Amino acid sequence: MSARSPRGSFSGDQNLADDFEESLQDLTQNNRLEISNLTLIAKESTEFAQDISKVLEKHIKSTAPTRKLPALYVLDSIVKNVGTPYTVYLSRGLYSTFMEAYTQVDSNTRRSMEAMLKTWKEPVPGSIDPRPVFPPDIVQPIENALMKAKMVVLQNQRTVQPLYRNTPTPPQYGNQPVPNLEYAQNRHYPQFNAQQQMMQQQQHIPQYQAQPSGSVYRQSPAVQPGNDVESIKTETALLISRMQGQFAMNPQDQNLRTKLQALLQLQDVLKVQSLEPSELQQIKSQISLLSIAPIPTPTPPPAASTQYWQPPVPLPQSNPSTQSFMPYSTPQPVVPPPSILAPGTLESLQALLANGQKPSTPQLRNAAPALQNASHAQLNTVAATPVMNSNDLIAALTKNNLLANLPNSTPAPPASNPPAAPPSHQSTASLLESLKGFLPPLTPSNTPSQTMSGRQAKIPMTAASLKEFRPELVRSLYDGQPNQCSNCGRRFLASDEGRTKKGRHLDWHFRTNQRMADSSVSRGQHRNWFVEEMEWIRLAEFDPSTTTAEDAAANAAGNKPQKRTQDSFVRAPPGMTKNTCSICYEEMKSSYAEELEDWVFTNAVMYGNPPRIVHATCAEEIKKSTHQPGSVPGLGGSLATVLAAAGNNNGRRSRSATPDSTLGKRKAESILAGLSARLKTDQ
Amino acid sequence: MALPGLSLPGLGLQLNTPTPLLGGQPSSAPQAIRQEDVPPQAEWRFEAGFGKPFTVKLLGGHAEFFGVELAPNQTYDFSGRKGAIFSWQGCRLEVSGDAESEYVGRETEYAIEWLNVHGMLESARDDSREGPRVLVVGPDHVGKSSLVRSLAGWGVKVGRTPTVVNLDPKEGLLAPPSSLTATTVGSQLDVENGYGISGISGPTVTPVKTPLVYHFPHASPLDKSDVYKALVTRMALSVTNKLEEDAQAKQSGIIIDTSGSLNDPRSNYDIINHIISEFSITLVLCLGSERLYNDLNRRFTTSKVGDESIPVLRISKPGGAVERDASFMKQMTQQQIRQYFFGTSKEPLNPHSHSIPYTDLNVLRAKSAASEPGPENPYGGGLDDDDEDDIPYANKPVKITGILYEKSPPGATLTGSLMAVKYCPGSSNEETVRDSTVMGFVYVAEVDDTRKKIRFLAPHPQRWGDRALVWGPWPEAIADLVV
Ligand SMILES: [Zn+2]
Ligand SMILES: [Zn+2]
Repeated sequence: MSARSPRGSFSGDQNLADDFEESLQDLTQNNRLEISNLTLIAKESTEFAQDISKVLEKHIKSTAPTRKLPALYVLDSIVKNVGTPYTVYLSRGLYSTFMEAYTQVDSNTRRSMEAMLKTWKEPVPGSIDPRPVFPPDIVQPIENALMKAKMVVLQNQRTVQPLYRNTPTPPQYGNQPVPNLEYAQNRHYPQFNAQQQMMQQQQHIPQYQAQPSGSVYRQSPAVQPGNDVESIKTETALLISRMQGQFAMNPQDQNLRTKLQALLQLQDVLKVQSLEPSELQQIKSQISLLSIAPIPTPTPPPAASTQYWQPPVPLPQSNPSTQSFMPYSTPQPVVPPPSILAPGTLESLQALLANGQKPSTPQLRNAAPALQNASHAQLNTVAATPVMNSNDLIAALTKNNLLANLPNSTPAPPASNPPAAPPSHQSTASLLESLKGFLPPLTPSNTPSQTMSGRQAKIPMTAASLKEFRPELVRSLYDGQPNQCSNCGRRFLASDEGRTKKGRHLDWHFRTNQRMADSSVSRGQHRNWFVEEMEWIRLAEFDPSTTTAEDAAANAAGNKPQKRTQDSFVRAPPGMTKNTCSICYEEMKSSYAEELEDWVFTNAVMYGNPPRIVHATCAEEIKKSTHQPGSVPGLGGSLATVLAAAGNNNGRRSRSATPDSTLGKRKAESILAGLSARLKTDQ
Repeated sequence: MALPGLSLPGLGLQLNTPTPLLGGQPSSAPQAIRQEDVPPQAEWRFEAGFGKPFTVKLLGGHAEFFGVELAPNQTYDFSGRKGAIFSWQGCRLEVSGDAESEYVGRETEYAIEWLNVHGMLESARDDSREGPRVLVVGPDHVGKSSLVRSLAGWGVKVGRTPTVVNLDPKEGLLAPPSSLTATTVGSQLDVENGYGISGISGPTVTPVKTPLVYHFPHASPLDKSDVYKALVTRMALSVTNKLEEDAQAKQSGIIIDTSGSLNDPRSNYDIINHIISEFSITLVLCLGSERLYNDLNRRFTTSKVGDESIPVLRISKPGGAVERDASFMKQMTQQQIRQYFFGTSKEPLNPHSHSIPYTDLNVLRAKSAASEPGPENPYGGGLDDDDEDDIPYANKPVKITGILYEKSPPGATLTGSLMAVKYCPGSSNEETVRDSTVMGFVYVAEVDDTRKKIRFLAPHPQRWGDRALVWGPWPEAIADLVV
């Protein structure tokens, strides 16, 4: 059974799982097409999701180390493209599936796995669903285990080995499962180094990133081509009218004239031609960069999902057999990209490195996933050419480069290649080129945190920029935040947000002063013990004088709402120290919350009828499933029941049997401790 | 139980004003109150002795003390401080008390450089989700800590949450000397008191900060460089992990303060190199030493060895005198320790007294360089085939091999020592003791050799069980902490 002809063969009969297994056996490399086909099978056979999940788990566990990563990519693709119910089934054994594989593979594969794990904490790229791929309480224990492994390895290494030695390649074959602790003792594990690790991780992402899995089956409205064309037209029109206004006032401005002409031509092109999605994407990002006016239909900011992910692009499904098989892991000889858009991308990147600082290699790699595979020398060439001022822009350009190659279904060529790519002469491309030349200096449109620094000219890290006095920096620290607290001198913006914060801040002063004035309180104060390593790592820093605990947690979690789920707790009924979660059947233990002066179950909510204490995250998962009736044909609302009753929770159980469970527990406790501290502070 | 008579200083002061005047005894001498006008981009420099009241109030304009803005019409106590109140816009100050010296300084090019560094960091933060990681190096007393605080203070002011790492054991940050700390600063700093205060059981004037505290009980990293480097590695790991958890902190970056003794050409700047690689430093700021700058610049900027170059910038030191002599430093050490137990006048604390029999104690003494072992076994024999031992704090058989630590028999010699209570049992192996963070510090107030008991001064009413107590050559014993 080949994975190349999935439809028809998989009619949902008894052997479906076997056939799926057979196809898995054929999967020896990171072949995107095969992975897509397996995903399609899974998508069309959700009624056999449990069997398929089992087969997949078993395969990942038993297959040779070199084949584990492709199989994991199948898992990854299924959970991202199909989602429920696979997410639920696969999450139960995810810890052991992942960790067992992790112990057996080589260090490069480990980094790929770490990168994959990272994406599981994020929403599916391009999806309107804000939830992460897997709930945090599934991913977190794995992360904890990896972190601990690193710490242990580090300790061992420090004692016997110098830094940065050459590491021999570990054995890659051998089907004997290695005990869980093996990885911790494995001296071959690379010396931990944050930056290096980051770079290496990212080098492996594009291979999988290039996999056009994101929206193959999830047709979220945001990526429908029709909408795109319309919104681009609207934006273009807006931009044109704006520029015409400017031009009327400055008729001598040649730049403006050329820009306007280019835009008018673009408008014509949009009217008459039907464009490839990738081209649309390109135009869209250019337009949104050019656009100064508010855009009626918000376009996804170019860099929103490009740091670790490429935005999804529909996989051409019409004629799969004509597509060549390209193992992701093998660099391909340079093929001139068929798309009109790839050539010139690097030139424009260089053009855009115009008036900022020289970016470092990791910055470049970070900013531009397409450059992951580029060598230092190549990156230096890029970076040494003038200077970039916006990583959004680079991300956008990079995306263009990748997108340009996707229709060919080949992996994105290493970024070193674009300079060698022959130029092309299509009108859209040249139009875009001419537009790029006029891009205004941009600041990132989506920095994750809101800052008050305002939009200032970039200051490069050079000796030359040290001497000049920059009044705008002083302004950002003083007049830019005119709303000052007379108690402590703290400043706030003159915006609604600033006023809200100041209000909270003054309340905080008031409460604090009251409590301090209460001598019975202040007489008995003592210093707290310092926090432990793990607690410190997990602690979300926030300013109690301006921020509510909820805001803080959301902030620290990068707006992942699930942390809130985990923060839920239920006070333990008298005498109840243990409880079995009726959803996952895992045991829950109560713990004492000092600040609440009560015993509580952490990560817990009341759920069901009659209400019982269950994991908050389990309840969330159930709700998720029931609120997406369309995602599971034929099961609909009863899925929750099915899942609740589903027998296979071995994976979960084995999770709590691993040595890591103490870490997970400590984490939950520290979250609670943090919560309690906030409660206390906010009193 | 609380020590009677120890709930000083400052407790009797009125507590309902947010910034009460000052702790300690009011000086008998009447102080002239004067007004000083500071022109734009100039500063009011002062050197105020310990124990002598010296206060400043901002009457008009704007002013800041190393990155932290003064509120108008609040009285700030700067006794025992040497520094400068800087004004970008010009200001009028009301000054009271005696200083060893005070004057308006106008050579403030340094401030422009420092602010520009802040601008560079902001640019880098805007450009990437992975913020700048800055290392500040230079000899002692050139203003490294002031620069670090300014950068942290300005960062916080524009909404960042930078992580400040202090690698100078001589001067604590939110913790007593001999601490190496990492703190993600998510809220305003304290004008007078460094970064503010770590968590206490009650309300605080400035929002509390949460340092992660490691222990290096030697005055100079060179006294035990392998231990120091191991701790740097450990801290880098913790900080990196924390930043992975917190996107905002990651984008805000890291600012590292260091010990002046790292300026050590003889070792080829071994430890500086180590910090740069462990923390993946992206910017090095060099204060006060031309040679250090040249050497580092050559290594990291000019001759890149197959790796990306790291910008090294020579930064001016503050114009005001920052030289602090040995007696000043000693007083500062004692003040830091005292504040750990007793708090400040604004946030007074009650330490607690615990009398503990010798037999219940696990006291370890960190060995100094003089007693260092041979190179063949630099870390001791802690690493063995104890495979399942991957839970760092699990109970283990005694593995103190006397390489890093030696059992310290209780006795009168301990009197006056500051000891770290570690988050690990006293029976842990040496690496675990070394790497474990500090739960708190205790002070040996009294050794009763006849009853075989030690009376400790502790910050917290709770005892610490069988956790390891570690002390070393630094800080030196203080005779008069409890008076
Ligand atoms: Zn305030
Ligand atoms: Zn559960």
